[in-house]
Amino acid sequence: MSPKTKYDWKKYALALAITVAMFGTAFYLSSRFNDARITDIRNAENQLSIDLLSNETQYELLGEQGCEDITKNPGLSDVLNSLASRLSYAEEHLGATDSEVITLKKQYSLLEIKDYLLMQKIASKCGTKTRPVFVLYFYSNAGDCKDCAREGATLTYLRETYPMLRVYSFDYQLDLSAVKTLVSMREIGSDMPVLIINNRAPVSGFKNVDDILKLAPEIGKLSTTTKSTSK
Amino acid sequence: MPIMSAVPLGDIGVYIVLFLALYFEVFLFISFFENKPTGKTSLKPKHYPSVTIVVPCFNEERTLAGTIKSLLALEYPRNKLSILVVNDGSHDNTLAVANRFRKNSQIEIVSKENGGKYTALNFGIENSKADIIGCLDADSLVAPDALIESIKRFEIDSSIMAVVPVMKVENPHNLLELMQAVEYTFGIFYKKMFDNLSAISVLPGPFSLYRREVFEQIGPFRHAHNTEDMEMAWRMQANHLPIANAHTAIVYTKVPSTVTTLLKQRTRWSQGFLDNSKDYRRMYFNPKFGNFGLLILPFGLTMFIGSLYVWGFTIWNTLYWAVRQAWIMWSSHIPLHMPHSFIHFDWFYLDTSSLFSIAAICFCSTLAAILIGRRIAGANFGIGSLIAYFTLYGLLAPLWLTKAVWGSLRSQQSVWREDGIH
Repeated sequence: MSPKTKYDWKKYALALAITVAMFGTAFYLSSRFNDARITDIRNAENQLSIDLLSNETQYELLGEQGCEDITKNPGLSDVLNSLASRLSYAEEHLGATDSEVITLKKQYSLLEIKDYLLMQKIASKCGTKTRPVFVLYFYSNAGDCKDCAREGATLTYLRETYPMLRVYSFDYQLDLSAVKTLVSMREIGSDMPVLIINNRAPVSGFKNVDDILKLAPEIGKLSTTTKSTSK
Repeated sequence: MPIMSAVPLGDIGVYIVLFLALYFEVFLFISFFENKPTGKTSLKPKHYPSVTIVVPCFNEERTLAGTIKSLLALEYPRNKLSILVVNDGSHDNTLAVANRFRKNSQIEIVSKENGGKYTALNFGIENSKADIIGCLDADSLVAPDALIESIKRFEIDSSIMAVVPVMKVENPHNLLELMQAVEYTFGIFYKKMFDNLSAISVLPGPFSLYRREVFEQIGPFRHAHNTEDMEMAWRMQANHLPIANAHTAIVYTKVPSTVTTLLKQRTRWSQGFLDNSKDYRRMYFNPKFGNFGLLILPFGLTMFIGSLYVWGFTIWNTLYWAVRQAWIMWSSHIPLHMPHSFIHFDWFYLDTSSLFSIAAICFCSTLAAILIGRRIAGANFGIGSLIAYFTLYGLLAPLWLTKAVWGSLRSQQSVWREDGIH
């Protein structure tokens, strides 16, 4: 027998140790990137909170005479939309039950409500040339809403096509008193998804692009970003 | 913040496969750093044993002349080298091509009824009295110093019973051939590391050399599911007959240039691996057979199955996602459009998952192995070849692996080549 038939157990163990270290490094790096994402969302929400407070204060200071100044800065729609995408990504990759994700989601929901109330006040007092259209969208990702993914995609497309369409999304299952108050005030049932367009009666069940444009023709009159290609 | 959220069950399988693949490559890299291959020297062998090179031919009229000329150009004493061309029942002009060299005293030409490559090799073994017997496929070419470099390898360690050379692809042209050129370069690294571990698993047709005693001890070549070169290596390992790699002995071989011929060849090799595994199952995880039984065989089979799993999992997930997205868009009446996220790049959405990082590490280690292989044998290929390898191989390999599994489960005979590709 050749002496090389022997095998070196130390080499097997060393290879195992190096491989485990490589895997551990990959998991660690992934965790650090996820931490950075959470920090990014938290910072964006803090900044949004300051901006909202600034807008509210500006509105109080200027009153009706300041409509031109206020409507030059038509709200924080882009920031809200960007935050929504980031939160959705975090939910998908870090888990909907992750405690930090839930905290950020609650904070975001409160900021949405504040923005919604402020924009409603500005729109009714100032009456801009093109009034935005407001959509409150209630969904659930607890596995009890099979149409919520489609509805979310539909509203995302409409929001990207019509910048003046303001969509505020709320997780029906979120344990937050402000959201629960909104649900009870608008008498929203548990049959998700639910849409409330421009303060009209809640509409439950999945609605595609054409259904929504029929329910709210004023959306079709808003200015668009790009022409969409045909189906 | 947890290290990772709950890992789906399917992903666990991918993690396991990647862990094993990475472990295997790390092991080989440790072997590389322990015993780095040395460069070629100008030293000559102390002793020139007699050598017979058997050239089995079946319908090789296009390539046989080139093969014979490269053998005649070997830098070796003419009286110590004989070439035995065995025409295995060809029905083209193979015999006529061979007969053009019949006046050369080093060449003997014989014809026999068609019986398969292993019968041609065995015929050559029976009719030679040389100390060293080698084989060369009739579509391969040897470098002039290939034989001397192989003989030197026999001299380094007198216990060595067989030597395998380095194989390169001859003049790759199309994408498929370029892909295989990179694959063979990867193989150069693997073969050298397997040599370090005394665990070489294949004695390829192009220019493997054997001491005559090998056949006297363990018998001639067998049909072995049309993979007699693999079976001979396993049989030698089972009988503790050492095999070495002469990384300075270069052989150039033709490779399949179409997908059909490539699939046929690789299905035969892969099915041969599975069928020989059944025959030699006693060697798996058996410390008696050293690194060959403990590492090479088990990992070979694990990677075989693991590759199919990862491929199937990826295809399933991709199809599921694509069909789901299409259904969402169709039922929502969303027209085709470029998503906002595609237009505006944001680092936030970069894939930084642990799975992606580990896959990236595996990619880098494979690339490193290829570059080491290139350095060992002085292979030359560009970035286009690397791209061809990393894109095409992952698409094609699962096809022949699947066919091989199906063929092995049905105990179906694999198909030998129809042209000059082995």
